[in-house]
Parts: sequence; C-alpha cells; structure tokens
Amino acid sequence: MALVEIRDVHKTFGRVDVLKGVSLDVEEGEIVTIIGRSGSGKSTLLRCINALETVDAGEIRVEGQKIHSGMPDLKQFRQRVGIVFQAFNLFPHLKVERNITLAPLLTGRIDKAKARVLAEDVLTRVGLADKIDAWPDQLSGGQQQRVAIARCLAMAPHLMLFDEATSALDPELVGEVLKVMEAMARQGMTMILVTHEMGFARNVANRIVFMHQGRVWEQGPPAELFASPKTPELASFIASAK
Amino acid sequence: MNFLPLWRYQNQLIDGAIITLELTVIAALCGLIIGIGGAVALKGRATFLRWLVRGYIELFRNTPSLIQIFIIFFVLPSVGLKLPAFEAAAVALSLYFGAYSVEIIRAGLDSVPRSQIEAGQCLGLSGWQVFRHILLPPALRNAYPAVTSQFVLLLLGTSLASQVAADELFHVAGFIESRTYRSFEVYAVICAVYFAMAMAFKALFALISAAAFRWPRRR
Repeated sequence: MALVEIRDVHKTFGRVDVLKGVSLDVEEGEIVTIIGRSGSGKSTLLRCINALETVDAGEIRVEGQKIHSGMPDLKQFRQRVGIVFQAFNLFPHLKVERNITLAPLLTGRIDKAKARVLAEDVLTRVGLADKIDAWPDQLSGGQQQRVAIARCLAMAPHLMLFDEATSALDPELVGEVLKVMEAMARQGMTMILVTHEMGFARNVANRIVFMHQGRVWEQGPPAELFASPKTPELASFIASAK
Repeated sequence: MNFLPLWRYQNQLIDGAIITLELTVIAALCGLIIGIGGAVALKGRATFLRWLVRGYIELFRNTPSLIQIFIIFFVLPSVGLKLPAFEAAAVALSLYFGAYSVEIIRAGLDSVPRSQIEAGQCLGLSGWQVFRHILLPPALRNAYPAVTSQFVLLLLGTSLASQVAADELFHVAGFIESRTYRSFEVYAVICAVYFAMAMAFKALFALISAAAFRWPRRR
C-alpha cells in the first residue's frame, strides 16, 4: 500500500475545472516533484492531500485513511502531515521558539519542560539555532522559510508537502532552503513538492510528475523525463523552464 | 470668577469621578466581551445568530444612547426588570460600547490573513486554538487604536447616566451648581477632570500596548 493514494480526483472552483481526474501514488520515503505551468492544478492537488481543499469526486488516502475536510480525526491527521507554504506563514506575533513549540504544546506532543530543547533541536537541523529568540519579521525570507520547515519538523511528520517553498524568495536565498530540503530527503522523509526549481527536481527527486490542464500528463524518473519527454507539452515546458 | 466655594464639595467630586470610572471600566469590559463574542458570531455559520448580532448592532448604533439608558431604567421595570440607576446605566453603556466593539473587532479579525488560519489548521490545532493563539492576538492589535478611541467616547458618554440620577461626575456637578450657583467654575472643573481622566487613560493604553504587542510591525 502506498503512503499516499490519489484516485481519479476532481476539483472545481466555480466554473473552472482545476483537477480533472488525477491519480497518483506516492510510496513511503519517496521524493515526488510536481511540475507544470501555473494553473495546471499542482498547488490545488497538494492542498487536497491535507484537506485544505475538499475533492469533488474521487478519493485521497494517506496511510490508508480516507482524507476529507469533515473527517473525524482531521486534527490528528494534520499533525502527521507537514506543509510548507510559499509565503512561509510564520505567526508574526510569536517568537521563533513559540512558533515552533505552539502546536507541539497545544496538541500535547510535549510538555513545557521539553519545549525549548525541541525548538533548539529542530532549529539546529535547519541551521538557525541562534535565531531561537528572534521575531519572524527580523529574519530574511530564507530564514523564515527554514523556521517554517523547523516548525513542521517539530511535529515529527510522516509526510511533508512543499507548496512552491522557494518561489517567494530572492534568488540568493533559495539555496539555503533547498539545502535543508535536500537534507530532509536524505534522511528518508516522504516528500511531495510543487516547485519551479528544475535543478532540485532533477537532482533530488525520485520521480517527476508533470501536470497539465488538471491532469497528470506524464511522469517518471527525472533523468528519463528530462532527457526524452514523450509529450510535446512537457518538451515545451522543459524548454521554457530553462 | 471664584473657585473657592467649590472646595467643600471636593469629596463629592472625587466620589463622582470614581463612579464615572467604575461605570466606564465596567461598560468597557462587558462591552469588549460582547464585542469579541459578537464578532465571532458574525463570522460564524449560524445564520440566526448572525442576524441577531447584526440587529443588535444596528439598533444600538443608530439610536441615541440617552434613550437607551432611559428605556432600560424607566421602561424595563414595567416588564418586571427593575434596575437601580447605576446598574441600569452600566447595562445600557455596556450594550452601547458592545455594539461598536463588535464591528471594530470584526474588522480586526478580518485583517488577519486567511493563510495564518490555514497555517494553524495544518499544524493540527483545533478551531478554538487557532482563534485564541493565532487569530486573536494580531486582530486585537489591529483593533486596539479604534477600541481605545471608542473607550474615550464611552468615558465622556457616561455623563448621560446623570439623567437617571446615577451619582457620576456630571450629576455631582449639577448638584454642586444648584448649591453654589457657580456654573462656570463647576463645569470648568469637571471638564478638567474628564480631560485629565481621558489623558490618563491614553497614557495607560500606550503602556498596555507597549507591553502586550511587542512583536515588530510588518515592514
């Protein structure tokens, strides 16, 4: 059984069909990168996986459990799935430490005495141990995104979703975030990424999924896919992304 | 001009000022609770509750607060709800302040980006936890300047309670005037007292703001 099973998922916003029957499996430990033009449905698919959007038809299962926004243990499910957003979404009124420890404390994962140690631990993993007492708005974009990743790591997720995690960053800050993501990949984290970073897709992912017009248009190992795209749509996308 | 005849009434003036402060603080606290509750109801899914809150807001923001006090003091006893002057004024002013607070706090809640709520949900927090820890603090900060200026209006508005003979500052002033016939002096003094109280609250609010909202503003 795959960790994530997506079966014939449809999603409509108003009159726009964003997802038109998407099926996709992601195995445990796999790094899957979803690429495609804007409007192809990549971000929507990602948001459906942790029930930020509800699918209109089809189904999504994670660890065998059917996912939808009305599921009874939605909170417990989301504690196991981390998501990193394009705009970081740190809580501006909480210091870095509290940003990280808020959810573990409120959900009873850890007690107060262990909070600071946990924050130090996950911040060390993203190389920001010295920023534990900073306010989010005192950090650069790259640092904020690394804190956002650390905040997810503090929940010890089984699956990480990245929704264009580097798209809002200045070019010189992209590298530090990608390095953290690469390290997570090496440690065996299951990751699904929506990204425009073709270098990352090529070098780190086990599989590339090319989405086009709300469908999985083509997928395969990066080397194969980039070297010999089977569809003209992917070929032209790769050409334009260079 | 002669302020000396007022001197022997200083205890009444101090008592009046204390009643005014009590009325203000009670109405502000109750009004804020109404404000937060009402704002949550306005954003909630219960249609009936939304209508109820909306009706309450429109009613209290579009009628004179003096008449609101009169209704609670003079009219409610006829349906069996008899409140003393101070309590009646406190209830009326709470409802008045609450009606404005609902709108101010709702605007504060709306000013927090949806992505913040999503970020909280994605960490597995409950609706209440997201509201309490993620939505409310920035919302209160954004609503704070409007709440404090509304608070000063409330402080000045407590003088209306004199009309149902609550012993607040303005009522005391009327009493002293009737004894001394020193109209200018009496009203000059109580104006100065209102002004001093308003200024003191502004200073207090600045201190509260500095202590409660320590995170840097977005650049």
